[in-house]
Amino acid sequence: MDEVTGNTMLTELGQRLVNGSLSDPAIQRATEATPNFAILPWVNVVKIGGQSIMDRGRSAVGPVVDEIVANLKRHKMILGTGAGTRARHVYSLAIDLGLPVGVLTVLGTAVAWQNAQMLQYLLAKHGIAFLEPEGFPSLPHYLMERGAVICQGMPPYKLWEGNPEIGRIPPQRTDTGCFLIAEVFGARKMIYVKDEDGLYTADPKKDPKATHIPRISVQELLARDFNDLVVERAVLDLMLKARNISEIQFVNGLKPGQLSAALDGEPVGTIVFNAAMKGAA
Amino acid sequence: MNDGGPGAQHVVSRLMRESLMDKAVIAGTEAGVRSILPNLNVIQIGGLSIMDRGQSAVLPLLDEIVANQQEHTQVVGVGPGVRARHILSVGLDLGLPTGALATLAAKSSAQNAYIVSCLLANHGFVYLEAPFIVQLLPAMLAAARGAVFNGIPPYDLWEHPPSLGKLPPHGSDAGSYLIGEVFGARSVILLKDVDGLYTADPKTDKGAKFIPDISVSELLHMQLATLPIEPVVLDLLTRSKLVKSVRVVNGLVPGNLSRALAGDTVGTLIHV
Repeated sequence: MDEVTGNTMLTELGQRLVNGSLSDPAIQRATEATPNFAILPWVNVVKIGGQSIMDRGRSAVGPVVDEIVANLKRHKMILGTGAGTRARHVYSLAIDLGLPVGVLTVLGTAVAWQNAQMLQYLLAKHGIAFLEPEGFPSLPHYLMERGAVICQGMPPYKLWEGNPEIGRIPPQRTDTGCFLIAEVFGARKMIYVKDEDGLYTADPKKDPKATHIPRISVQELLARDFNDLVVERAVLDLMLKARNISEIQFVNGLKPGQLSAALDGEPVGTIVFNAAMKGAA
Repeated sequence: MNDGGPGAQHVVSRLMRESLMDKAVIAGTEAGVRSILPNLNVIQIGGLSIMDRGQSAVLPLLDEIVANQQEHTQVVGVGPGVRARHILSVGLDLGLPTGALATLAAKSSAQNAYIVSCLLANHGFVYLEAPFIVQLLPAMLAAARGAVFNGIPPYDLWEHPPSLGKLPPHGSDAGSYLIGEVFGARSVILLKDVDGLYTADPKTDKGAKFIPDISVSELLHMQLATLPIEPVVLDLLTRSKLVKSVRVVNGLVPGNLSRALAGDTVGTLIHV
């Protein structure tokens, strides 16, 4: 198939890609020098927590929905949903039955899907659509027309989810799926709506001496190696590799106004930032 | 830090109210895994190494797959080859991010998988897209005589940015391995145009020695400049529960696939 090799329409990098090994670090490094095009630079990805928001029902979800509606004309939002307590139940059951991580991922995806569908019923009268990964090419249209779309937060890895280092829980869940949406579109913001004001030195529900951390680098967060975290560890690992998303923000969805403040660029909750952003966009 | 606390409506389970980010909770979920399809053999046909060569390479290999059909259950993953290299080149030139490149490249391997399925259709093989692998693979293997799938995993826009550069790290070797692992397959065989691993590039170094068998940790320790398989497969192997090895075999040599399926020593076995 040498006809492509001799094609002068290919760039110099293209010639190397066609002829070389994609695992060759020299070729990988050469791709760093290509431009970074942001696909949806004005979009905000907002993840609505499963256990932290959706499982609480109307008392928590109602105010979050009101706040989303209030922001529809001001900020464009991709709303991803978490899974929550039903995922925990189905993971427990599936682990007990000896099923692999890929199967757990398929099962967990169904729970995030249920939450996305519920959220969409609540926002339907405002013209908000629910898109599955296959529908993502239509996403810019819905964002332009209606200001927001809903998706389920799990990445579409399904049976192809890799094993975690330890244990049997799928390591890349809805925090990760939403982060990767933000990264690939070059989004303006990645905001996680949970049920706490962000990150603490310990679990504030269990330790009264826990203090709030308003801002911390991902490098420091990884170095401190907390036993528990507000976000999936996979997100922190991916932040180190990301070239578009330099920070993520955690806000308390139980406190009205925090999501709006974060969308407006205010430093509410906790911001985790990359102190060594590579190949700046 | 995500237990929902008071107010959340819980379903009772072992993980109820627990943080799935808590290290002790995560470690507490360690338990045995069942093999769903223990007789399955995952065969990966390389894109650049086999498919792009056309009939002289592809047809003898497919004949060998058919010859093994009675004896072995085979699902065939297919890689993308030179068309993916081309669209990566154009996409990079346009500034597209890794997730967009992965989505585009996956269509090239879908084409190759479809081609293979057409050539094997007469023998009852079916082409299954990712949603059908999830729902229908066991039924298809019971009813049909084998299946062909897109080797590139359906990560699409959600593909990870790599540590270096922008090329999608999960290609068809990774996707085929992951299918083997999730179903607890009997073997994962990666068919390439080289005999396996060497201590150096045999095309440029006369002193290069063949490696019939090597562990992932030894291989990582050798720090070879390039590998005939995607490096991410080595990471996946270190976290394996069921499929503890992959065999890299020269698919251009008649008989190699049959030997690998029979469990004979051929090519290079990379194991945990």
